[in-house]
Amino acid sequence: MVGILDSRTRDRVEVRLNTRRRDLRGTVFVAALQFALLLALLVLTVLLVDAVRDGWGILGSRLGSFLSGTLRSGSADPTLGVHQGLVGTFWLAVFVATLAFPVGIGAAVYLVEYAPDNRFTRFVELNIRNLAGVPSVVYGLLGLFLFVKGLDGFTGGRTLASAGLTLAILVMPIVVITASEAIRAVPAGYSEAALGLGATRWDAIRTQVLPAAAPGILTGTLLSMSRAVGEAAPLILVGAVTGRLGRNPGLLDTDQITSKFTAMPIVITQWVKNSGRDQGFSTAAAAAIVVLLVFVLALNSVAIVLRNRFESRSR
Amino acid sequence: MTRPRGGFGIVAVLVATALVAAACGGGGSDQSAEGGSGDSSGAAGEVNISGSSTVEPVSVRVAELFESVNPDVIVNVDGPGTGDGFVLFCDGETDISDASRAIKDSEAQNCASNGVDYLELKIGIDGLAVMTGPGNPLECLNLADLYALTGPESTGFTNWTDAQALAAELGSDTVFPDARLDIFGPGEESGTFDTFVEFVIDGTAEARGRDGTTRPDYNANADDNVIVQGVESSDTSLGWVGFAFAANAPDVKLLRIDGGDGNCVAPTAETIASGEYPLSRPLFIYPNTARVASNPGVKAYVDFYMGEGMDEAVAEVGYVPLSDEARAETRAAWQATS
Repeated sequence: MVGILDSRTRDRVEVRLNTRRRDLRGTVFVAALQFALLLALLVLTVLLVDAVRDGWGILGSRLGSFLSGTLRSGSADPTLGVHQGLVGTFWLAVFVATLAFPVGIGAAVYLVEYAPDNRFTRFVELNIRNLAGVPSVVYGLLGLFLFVKGLDGFTGGRTLASAGLTLAILVMPIVVITASEAIRAVPAGYSEAALGLGATRWDAIRTQVLPAAAPGILTGTLLSMSRAVGEAAPLILVGAVTGRLGRNPGLLDTDQITSKFTAMPIVITQWVKNSGRDQGFSTAAAAAIVVLLVFVLALNSVAIVLRNRFESRSR
Repeated sequence: MTRPRGGFGIVAVLVATALVAAACGGGGSDQSAEGGSGDSSGAAGEVNISGSSTVEPVSVRVAELFESVNPDVIVNVDGPGTGDGFVLFCDGETDISDASRAIKDSEAQNCASNGVDYLELKIGIDGLAVMTGPGNPLECLNLADLYALTGPESTGFTNWTDAQALAAELGSDTVFPDARLDIFGPGEESGTFDTFVEFVIDGTAEARGRDGTTRPDYNANADDNVIVQGVESSDTSLGWVGFAFAANAPDVKLLRIDGGDGNCVAPTAETIASGEYPLSRPLFIYPNTARVASNPGVKAYVDFYMGEGMDEAVAEVGYVPLSDEARAETRAAWQATS
């Protein structure tokens, strides 16, 4: 030891070992991280408080009629409300959950577990990553030409079905990417052990890989669901109604799938627009924002509960 | 060997996706016989309206009043813009088109080639308000000034005085302030844009061999609130929106307009209804005559629109009701065909 290090180095090491370390840079770094976290939380809090305060005129006095009300021309109308938007958004979420999630997760399982590692597979994966970055308006155009015009025999034209299919396609790349990352993160030992014990490929994936990857997959689906529920641009192209929707169907009324529709982001944009000629609409828009936030939080908490169950099971 | 198999696997996934999508869509459409067009509906009737976002609140209000009289008719109203509305209308997608200007020849031809016949019914009047910031000493502009400040030859003008020479050349003696010029207005997709071009720019531009459009370098926005906010933000701004919006904006100054006779007219409900204010525009609805005949809902709705609905809704939304003669003319046009 003495032979290797010269005396200066030895002294320095001794000092380091015998005095209390003052890691200034480390302290600054942690402080910066905490500040970043605080800032992010602060922005969120300001947003929430601001929306609730602006919308309190409605949220505090007539939440019930606001939740069951419809699109109206005047903000003072006691039947003005978000029911049609909320029901539309609920069905869009159902479309995304039943179409984008199974297909996206299936594609991810195939890409990670079955697809040969060749140029074609890599090309497909690269394209899926690019698709996840395509602006949502472009998917709106796709939906307009494919579902509204091309398949109008199936979808009925500018209907909830067209919008739901468009949003399902919009989020599918995100589902594929997050799910395949989650599946890749499962240690190879899990499936190797299963295969070694004589399980088939499918058994290994079903009993070992998927349960272990489930929390990650659910996080991805949660993110993509939030994105789908908040999109307005593609819905405008597909033909969401802005002014007045004659029908006000119940939540579980399936006839509305092939009827004209509206959705929460559309309702919010329209009311912000209307506030130019009728100031009261800004309160309604803020209240609608709070309703949409609560809706998204409710959806997310379902996913979080599911994720926690999977996490505790796989441990 | 593995390479082609991988390819087929991907194709299989894609095909499966398409099948699932198609199957689900198909299942959906079986549940309801109602299609996209309104003419298949029976006595209850469904009326689909699209077009001008300016007229949208009027048609919505009429539908609300109509609902209490006839709750069986479903009325849907949308407002993507007059031009977009006519595209849908001439494709037969909608039963009534809202418009903040008369139908253009090209749009009329499109309708004719698709066999769509329509009626033109004037329902109210909207004024275009030209606004500036509250601190601007300017009170009145004439049409030559507006052309010099916003027309195709003003591209690149960043100070009011840049337009002085052009305004003088066009015969105006208005003195512009020596100040920054920030312009805010609706984008090309808006009916308000078309009306502004028609009122302010077309005549002069044609005489000078220029395109009938505004300068491209101004702050264009589809949202009237944003335009009003932009004008409020600076004392020497210039902007234009529909009168209904500007009248409710407390912090902008509405400029008086000289239509060419040397008489400055302030935009008010009275000067707009009388036609005295130069920048006012009529609002229309265009019912599809075949749908009026085949869909009792459309007929009942327009009947109500022409009756008590029109004036109440137009006034409530903030536009100017028609004069008595114009209203009688509109009603006569409707009764002649129904």
